[in-house]
Amino acid sequence: MTVPPARGILAYRNEAIGALLWALGLALPAVLDSSWVAVAAIFAIYAITALSEDVILGRGGMFDMGHAVYFGIGAYVTAILNTEFGWPIFATLPFAILAAAAVGALLAAPLIRLRGDYLLVATIGFNAIFVLAMQNNLAGITGGSDGLTGLDVPVLFGLPLESQSAMFWLDWVALGIVMVLMRNLDRCEFGRTLRYLKQDELAATTLGVDARAAKTLAFAVGAGLAGLAGTLFAVQLSTVSPTSFVFTESVTLFAIVIVGGKGSVPGVLLGTALMFVVPQFFRQFATYRYFAFGFAMIAVMVLRPQGLWPRRIQNE
Amino acid sequence: MSALLELRSVGISFGGLRAVDQLSFSVAEGQIVGLIGPNGAGKTTVFNLITGVYRPTNGEILWQGSRITGLRPHRVAALGIRRTFQTIRLFAEMSVFENVRAGCHLGVRQHWWQGVLQLPAQRREEAELAERTHAVLRRLQLETHANDLAVSLPYGLQRRVELARTLVGEPKLVILDEPAAGLNDAESEALNETILGVRASGITVLLVEHDMNVVMKVSDHIVVLNFGRLIAEGDAVAIRDNSAVIEAYLGREDEEAAA
Repeated sequence: MTVPPARGILAYRNEAIGALLWALGLALPAVLDSSWVAVAAIFAIYAITALSEDVILGRGGMFDMGHAVYFGIGAYVTAILNTEFGWPIFATLPFAILAAAAVGALLAAPLIRLRGDYLLVATIGFNAIFVLAMQNNLAGITGGSDGLTGLDVPVLFGLPLESQSAMFWLDWVALGIVMVLMRNLDRCEFGRTLRYLKQDELAATTLGVDARAAKTLAFAVGAGLAGLAGTLFAVQLSTVSPTSFVFTESVTLFAIVIVGGKGSVPGVLLGTALMFVVPQFFRQFATYRYFAFGFAMIAVMVLRPQGLWPRRIQNE
Repeated sequence: MSALLELRSVGISFGGLRAVDQLSFSVAEGQIVGLIGPNGAGKTTVFNLITGVYRPTNGEILWQGSRITGLRPHRVAALGIRRTFQTIRLFAEMSVFENVRAGCHLGVRQHWWQGVLQLPAQRREEAELAERTHAVLRRLQLETHANDLAVSLPYGLQRRVELARTLVGEPKLVILDEPAAGLNDAESEALNETILGVRASGITVLLVEHDMNVVMKVSDHIVVLNFGRLIAEGDAVAIRDNSAVIEAYLGREDEEAAA
């Protein structure tokens, strides 16, 4: 079985198609009404979150079933700094990213040695604690079950991003940046180290890989990106409440990576589209739309366990 | 010659089983040392103790004179010790090239953010890593398989890929766990050449091997274990004539011959 050299025409073709689709996406506000532009914006935000889960789950092979926590931390940091302290939205962004990354690293550090299934249960525990803490108005600044409302409109270089289209473009540009970062992850030692650990931890450590450090970093990076998405989410809804970050959200993010294709950017984007965009077309069926969705997940796992668009094996 | 690696009264117990007991031997720089013994004698356990996979219950392991007992595996690797595994452990979803490049990990200087941003210094280093990897692939005649999925290769080639992965990191000592297992005669003959070539490039070799043909031909020094204890050591001739060894290990072949 020979693997085609990855830096061949094929690799560049896929990247070119990705870049083209992204550029075409910029024109979505011209062809969609504003409620669909909002769907597209939410898609971009969830796509970033799912890609951030992919760093930990897809590339690192660590069963993180509490990823909504980091997404939530980003959203809450932005909401709190903006509504309680009056910070401009963009000033909150670095803090949202750093706070989520720090929590990711801190939670991960003691858990990193747990085997897959134990890690999974532990991260579910963190998710439950996070939601309860937010609901119970932790430190009097999270707004309890209702959350926080009335976030300001983000202002970029003196330009308020008021319209849904402007906010969509913000999210779309952020998604484009994250897609490039994820592609680069495949071409550097950090990204490869995660794959070594995922495929054979013992072999990796005897080659000098510091498993604890690499896995903690993966959690920090994945959580930080989720924090970025959290800020965008808070801005899009202009409100933040605990229900957006419950355990089932984490399950969905987990499922997107598995169904779409672990470690594959197009796979994760496809998974996100199936999970968040397709259900929008079936709104009239109300909750039954998730019924079909459940069957689709089962079908993919049985018929195509490697995911819809699996990762290609690469060389250089 | 100075001792590169030294074990002093090293022992480990698993539950009530004393897998390795009071084991002392040393590996001199530039030698090929063979570790032999019947099945279950504790040979692989010794390798796991040296490489930090297991922590010894008692005793000391010295590397160039300083204690390394209980260091975690990645720290042991950083000293310049690399190993292969009895059951080949290649990265299953990676090509031969990628598997071998993994052995460069410790020499990599780039920071994660340099990689994620694809900064020029990082890209230069990537080119260097590829070059180093290809050089080792050429040396071990694996170049034509560079883009093959490593685990799809025949057994003998997989062993060679694993060896290439240890050599690309420019180690001081390589530990080979049954490198001839599953090889045919021609392949094991080629392996002898490869092992001698490794030593000729200045790397010390410690190997566990069942294939007497390999051990006797390449080893400068042989250490014989039985039930976790050292029962003899010396060169090939001394070991061949040692009555304790014949009884414990080679004796089986005598019985077969007699039968």
